[in-house]
Amino acid sequence: MSNTQFTITDQQRDYSQFGLSENPFPYSPVPDDDPAVYCGQEHATREISETVSTVLSTGKSKHLVITAKYGNGKSHTLKYTRSLIRDRSDVIVGYVAQPGEGFHDIYQEFIYDLGFDRIQRLAYEYLAVLSCEVTEFEPTGPDEMQRLIDDGEILLSELIPEAIRRLNEITAFADFARAMLHMVYEDTNLYAWQWLTADGIRYEQRKQMEIHSALDDDTSSVRAFTALKNLVVELGYTGIFLFIDEFESISRLSPKDKQTTLNSIRHLMDQNSHGLCVLFGCAPEVWQDVMSEYHAFSERIGKEVALKPLSDENLRYLVRSYLELARESGEETLAPFGEDGLNVVLQYSQGNIRQALSICSQTLDQAVEQDLDVIDAAFVEAQISNRS
Amino acid sequence: MLYRQRTLETPHGDLETPVLFPVSNVGKRSSDNTPAYADQIPDLRTAMVNARAIRQREPQWERLLDGSSLRQEMGVPDDTIVFADSGGFDFHTETLDTTPEKTLETQIRIDADVFGTVDLPLSREDRQAKNQRRINESIQYALAASDAHEGDSLLFASVHGHDPETVRNSIRYLDRHGDFDGFALGSLVPIRTDYRKTTKLILAARLATDKPLHVYGLGGLVYQPLLLYLGVDTFDSSSFIRSAGNRNYLIPGFGGREMHRIEGLEYLPCPCPVCGPRTTEAVRADRNLLVQHNLWALTIELRRFRYMIAAGEDIESYLELRFQGNDVTHRAYRMAKQQVRRLA
Repeated sequence: MSNTQFTITDQQRDYSQFGLSENPFPYSPVPDDDPAVYCGQEHATREISETVSTVLSTGKSKHLVITAKYGNGKSHTLKYTRSLIRDRSDVIVGYVAQPGEGFHDIYQEFIYDLGFDRIQRLAYEYLAVLSCEVTEFEPTGPDEMQRLIDDGEILLSELIPEAIRRLNEITAFADFARAMLHMVYEDTNLYAWQWLTADGIRYEQRKQMEIHSALDDDTSSVRAFTALKNLVVELGYTGIFLFIDEFESISRLSPKDKQTTLNSIRHLMDQNSHGLCVLFGCAPEVWQDVMSEYHAFSERIGKEVALKPLSDENLRYLVRSYLELARESGEETLAPFGEDGLNVVLQYSQGNIRQALSICSQTLDQAVEQDLDVIDAAFVEAQISNRS
Repeated sequence: MLYRQRTLETPHGDLETPVLFPVSNVGKRSSDNTPAYADQIPDLRTAMVNARAIRQREPQWERLLDGSSLRQEMGVPDDTIVFADSGGFDFHTETLDTTPEKTLETQIRIDADVFGTVDLPLSREDRQAKNQRRINESIQYALAASDAHEGDSLLFASVHGHDPETVRNSIRYLDRHGDFDGFALGSLVPIRTDYRKTTKLILAARLATDKPLHVYGLGGLVYQPLLLYLGVDTFDSSSFIRSAGNRNYLIPGFGGREMHRIEGLEYLPCPCPVCGPRTTEAVRADRNLLVQHNLWALTIELRRFRYMIAAGEDIESYLELRFQGNDVTHRAYRMAKQQVRRLA
């Protein structure tokens, strides 16, 4: 498609001259949900590993805040950490992109991140555990439990009253218990999901499930989160990992709302001395304010780890790792980037990962357009001046 | 469409389904409300009776114990196929005063062909815990009846549930743990105006098993075509008696109309043997005639549907036409169609 001003095409650029199948750098340097590359920040990885490992090995709650300036990899670090533990079968992991207006929003995002299917599977999983105790069947997981119900091996009307009674004891939140168990009923599971996600449902829908309260504020959301954690611990999970990114956005809130949000998170931590790990990503200046103004909250977070800008060595490792993702030969080289070209990238980006990736992505495309062999200092400088 | 035709063998002969069991209130204080119809309507050799009511009406029960037959008491031919439910509908408000064994004994004594197991219907107003308990008790009563049942009569397990999951699960559980010839879905009358829910429950039951499915209490004019479309095999209705009690005249395709609103008309539109030769005034003046006509109306509804099938007509188009006159039932049919098509 073209006219005198635009040339729009879906034809792909050919990167084969560099032995690459594609441009491996992101055009818009936002972290992938499952980042494939992570480099540098040994001190940070040490702290994160230590925090996560402590929770996994002892079950005791531990929390960490990761600070860094914009573009220095907070989200990337959180998402990379999440990708490392998400596939473990003994934990529940949820990512919250930003805290919103308060803990109610954090809870909501967390449940959305887990998703309908995961929550429904937890309900079946709970019934499976209960069935092992109160029936002759020993379902090994949610799928088998669902099959036993579908096939009429286990009687729902016998199991559910007992399930409600026990889940009520475990969670100390009768409405939460009912909502969880309604996840197995096709007629009401969407209402139950709406309630669990704190989306708000009509009174008649709540009445149908015999749920008396609305999940509409920070206090009830903390209660529901704790109930969920108690449920997963009862099911044999080590605990819940909650990743809260862009925590700095709480600075937008009014002092009262900020206080309420931090208090709610503090209450959550206080109510869950076991089985909870919260990892925050936060801009350092906001975290400094929190540290100085809200001791009660900040004291509950064990440690802060600051991400550093990329060093020369880090940048080379980063670029090599990205290139490897698309390298057809499997070689580990920096080509087509020249050493001096990367020096300019580092100089211009000042070690900011987002900027460095953005420059690399752009210069690689331009190098293909101009049929270059090597991306050297002069070429990078020219591209940077074109950008500005 | 899930409509199906079957032949069920019963002690009093083969039963061609789908079929209506008109409710006979034999045993009830208002026993005489059910006029003789078996001789007038040849394809209605069926009756639904309440085993508990018959047993509780002492003089009649004594006569039955002394050797009289229920069919004689009812004034119907000997080959009338009788479905005897446990009287569960009364347990909405009354305390359960029977056992599976006692009900079975009554059903055997009255020589019923189809036995409905003892059941405790649900109420929307009851707490879920109470309803769960009632569902569970009905299942246990059904299993007890299965253990005690012998002979050629068909045993239909009564099933309750206000969500598809429970209905499906209960039927499959009973199918697995008991020996039943069919299933009978109850507790639908109190929620019958919620068409979406009701049709979903019926569908859940229909698809949970291949065995015959009876639906308690919904065989009236409005629901009947929906039940047929959803593949229900047998159903019962007392609407012909109740409507007549309210002086309502049933017209297939239109529902009930109050007789006092019909003015200036010498003859009614129905060609049935009741209305055909009589004036409007004559039908209006005789409640029994009105009951008989209403039963004809139900029969004609069923005959029409059977005719459409036999003639190879497009049933969905027929039902579109059939429900056109009433927004509520038209919507109900459309919902049922969507649900059925999603399964196809």
